Amino acid sequence: MTNANFNIYVLIKQVPDTGSKAGVNPDGTIDRARAKRMMNPFDKFALQAALHTKKEYGGTVTAISMGPPPAKEILLEAIEHGADAGVLLSDRRLAASDTLATSYALTKVIEYLNTEKNHPADLIFAGLQTTDGDTAQVGPEIAERLGVMQVTYCEDFSLEGTTLVARRIVEGGHTVVATPLPALVTVANAYTPLAYKSLRGAKKVQYLARTPEVEAEYISVIDLDVVNADPMLAGLKGSPTIVGKTWKIGEVGGSCVVRQGQSVANMVTDVLDATPVDEFLNKKEAVPV
Amino acid sequence: MTDAEATKKPAEQPAEPELPLFETNVGGQVMIVAELTDGQLAPVGLELLSMGRELADKLGNPLSCVVIGHNLGDVPNTLGHYGADIVYVADHAELAQYRTMPYKRVMCDLMESLEHPPHIVLMGSTTTGRDLAPRVAAHFLTGLTADVIEMDIGPYEHTNKADPEKVGLYEGCLYAVRPSFGESLKARILGPWKNPQMATARPGVFVPLQPDTNRSFEVKAIPVNLTAEDTALTIRDVVVELNKNVDLTAADVVIAGGYGLADAEGFKLMEELASCFDNAVVGASRKAVDAGWIPYVHQVGQTGKTVRPKLYIACGISGAIQHRVGMSKADTIIAINKDPDAPIFGFADHGIVGDLYQVVPEMIAQLKRQITAA
Repeated sequence: MTNANFNIYVLIKQVPDTGSKAGVNPDGTIDRARAKRMMNPFDKFALQAALHTKKEYGGTVTAISMGPPPAKEILLEAIEHGADAGVLLSDRRLAASDTLATSYALTKVIEYLNTEKNHPADLIFAGLQTTDGDTAQVGPEIAERLGVMQVTYCEDFSLEGTTLVARRIVEGGHTVVATPLPALVTVANAYTPLAYKSLRGAKKVQYLARTPEVEAEYISVIDLDVVNADPMLAGLKGSPTIVGKTWKIGEVGGSCVVRQGQSVANMVTDVLDATPVDEFLNKKEAVPV
Repeated sequence: MTDAEATKKPAEQPAEPELPLFETNVGGQVMIVAELTDGQLAPVGLELLSMGRELADKLGNPLSCVVIGHNLGDVPNTLGHYGADIVYVADHAELAQYRTMPYKRVMCDLMESLEHPPHIVLMGSTTTGRDLAPRVAAHFLTGLTADVIEMDIGPYEHTNKADPEKVGLYEGCLYAVRPSFGESLKARILGPWKNPQMATARPGVFVPLQPDTNRSFEVKAIPVNLTAEDTALTIRDVVVELNKNVDLTAADVVIAGGYGLADAEGFKLMEELASCFDNAVVGASRKAVDAGWIPYVHQVGQTGKTVRPKLYIACGISGAIQHRVGMSKADTIIAINKDPDAPIFGFADHGIVGDLYQVVPEMIAQLKRQITAA
């Protein structure tokens, strides 16, 4: 089965690095201009899944992203890890896209690549969700627009010919599903973490940095016109939802009775006396003192 | 007009152009989707019925509930007792287990068969709801808000000149409030331009109504027409993992440990404290989970569970906002922390400043004495 020539896409996004202090305002909001940037951590699992598929079953991996020009960084990072090429959809008219508008634009990119390659995608991997949006909606919305099968919350998978067998996390356990390709898979962070960059990939990216004309062969930056997308269906205009208002999660409380500096036994007795613990005590079995 | 009156009037201002008025409420249902786990109603369905009831009453529209599965028995009646006016039932062998495509087909067929599209459609923010809702929303090319923690109905004035066709005053909009930016902010998301206005709601946030067996409601069977493509995905296995079945949301008492425990061993102490109570489970802060001391299913807060137990004992948890949003609605919160400036003392009910490795064993000893005395 290693001779299959799967056309594999992986959808990745550049997000603000909230782990770094840079660009994070004291109230927790993010100043995107000052914030450090990183590949969405969930997407690293998706990239690993795509690269694993290529290695085990054969094919090519194209990383696809949508965002402002610096998002090219994560496409190069994907190539360092072993992806074959990267495509960035970058267009000012994409600003203020909600999930439905994002799914439209990315669907147009996928359809464009399918035509370019003369081979529709067999597998599309995406991260479960992003750290800056937390919706987990864009993947399934793309699957619906493309009319392909989907497996979300995937924590492990294998291919039996052109049947995808996937373990899907559900509340209190998991299910194992089998589906024909093509399919879109959102990969949960219970999957294998992204492997180290390959030496070959890292050398390739170093070479690309020195030779922009060759870089253009590996990384294409395209806009809505290239993929024949209707700007009315993208960005703010194509978004059925809007952020109406935001506010801080209100400060609460101030009524806490804090015990401090007394003996531990006294403090505990005081708190237990003040709390209706009695109703919840486990009286079913005698607990030895 | 006298001169005196004229001077009282403020300087003439150019009249604000009136915004065109759009009524988004054309009588469409508020529709919620009830989920089943192993044939049993998942709590989130009953929570959604409670929220849906409030929204439907504000709009003056019916509340419907969709339940999809096989051999549903008394489930439809239960949904009526918990607040639905209409219960749509899709009962079919192919629907016994959740699968994206068959469930999507049933939902879309039902929604398209109605005179008006539903005004609002709500699902749980679960592995099922987050799989199905975007698929349905994309089918109808409508908006969907994820992981909502508050909802209401109200007007919305859209004045964004960048998008002139949408400018106007909209009535009857769904206010879907969700946390954003690491839960330090709440954002109200609106989608008044198209019905249904859709959202998934975080489990454990809304409180179910008391069931009323005298309520009148209608149960309607809905036709199930699946294509071969719809059923192309098959389920090979369903595995229940016992250690994954920590039901934080149904516990009366949650004993939560944080980074202050210092190591995985600390959770044994949490278990021991939990064993003093009936229906008590162990919870954890994200930092403790990230440190690998306890599995993710125990996590309370931001990316974990929202709990509202009767008693919450937080041990070595600083009480960062990410944790607070998941537990601040507990009836009574006891906090144990060695740092007197820990934010948790700002919103707990009772606090003990001290080393949890001294305080918790003392608490266990005193509780055990109470138990033997009882």
